[in-house]
Amino acid sequence: MENTQKSGFRNLRFISRVVGGIALMTISFFLTLGLLQRFDLSYLYPFQGLSVIIISLMAAVMLKEKLTLQLTIGALLISAGIVLVSLS
Amino acid sequence: MTNQPKRNRPSGFANPWLQLALSVLCVLVSELLLKCGANDIADPSSVWSWTGINGLASPLVWLGIAFVIASFLSWLYVLKYIPLTIAFPLSRVVDILVPLGCWIFLGEFISTRRWCGIALVVIGLALVAKPVARIEERL
Repeated sequence: MENTQKSGFRNLRFISRVVGGIALMTISFFLTLGLLQRFDLSYLYPFQGLSVIIISLMAAVMLKEKLTLQLTIGALLISAGIVLVSLS
Repeated sequence: MTNQPKRNRPSGFANPWLQLALSVLCVLVSELLLKCGANDIADPSSVWSWTGINGLASPLVWLGIAFVIASFLSWLYVLKYIPLTIAFPLSRVVDILVPLGCWIFLGEFISTRRWCGIALVVIGLALVAKPVARIEERL
């Protein structure tokens, strides 16, 4: 957030990131809409747990966050649950 | 954002806990509406329907989008008063409400295997929600 108060070049980077985020969320929304026409909501919805796993993995890589035992066990449980749902 | 002193909590409709519950409800309603709308205009045979753009033809989908926006605005308001490390784990209750809503309102058949999978995902998310909220605050 402090970056936005500095030079205009940094401002451009911030705005481009926000726009990129919104673009990706829009694409994700429409793809979900396409999938909803074919599959049950109770089938598709648990897959959103995947985004939580991806966030923690990317944070471990990009922000050097520690992968605690709690995070790992939770991620494994989510993955197991998603596999079960995809098989149902 | 986290350095701001916590303001006095407003009451009534502006109460942040109430807004948190409303945000969760809005997400639930929007998911159900999007599914109903998608069912209405479903065209599984066409290739273009994989992009989901034909969903915009359904008014239910537009109503679902409105509820998504409402839930997001409410969520932004909630985060002014409640730290993310508390609000985010609490908001994960929606992950139980949505499958229940599918079963009750949409009449979807949910096998035992699917219930077990959903339960595992919910437990995993409950474990992971607080650390992830801490990570997101750093972002």
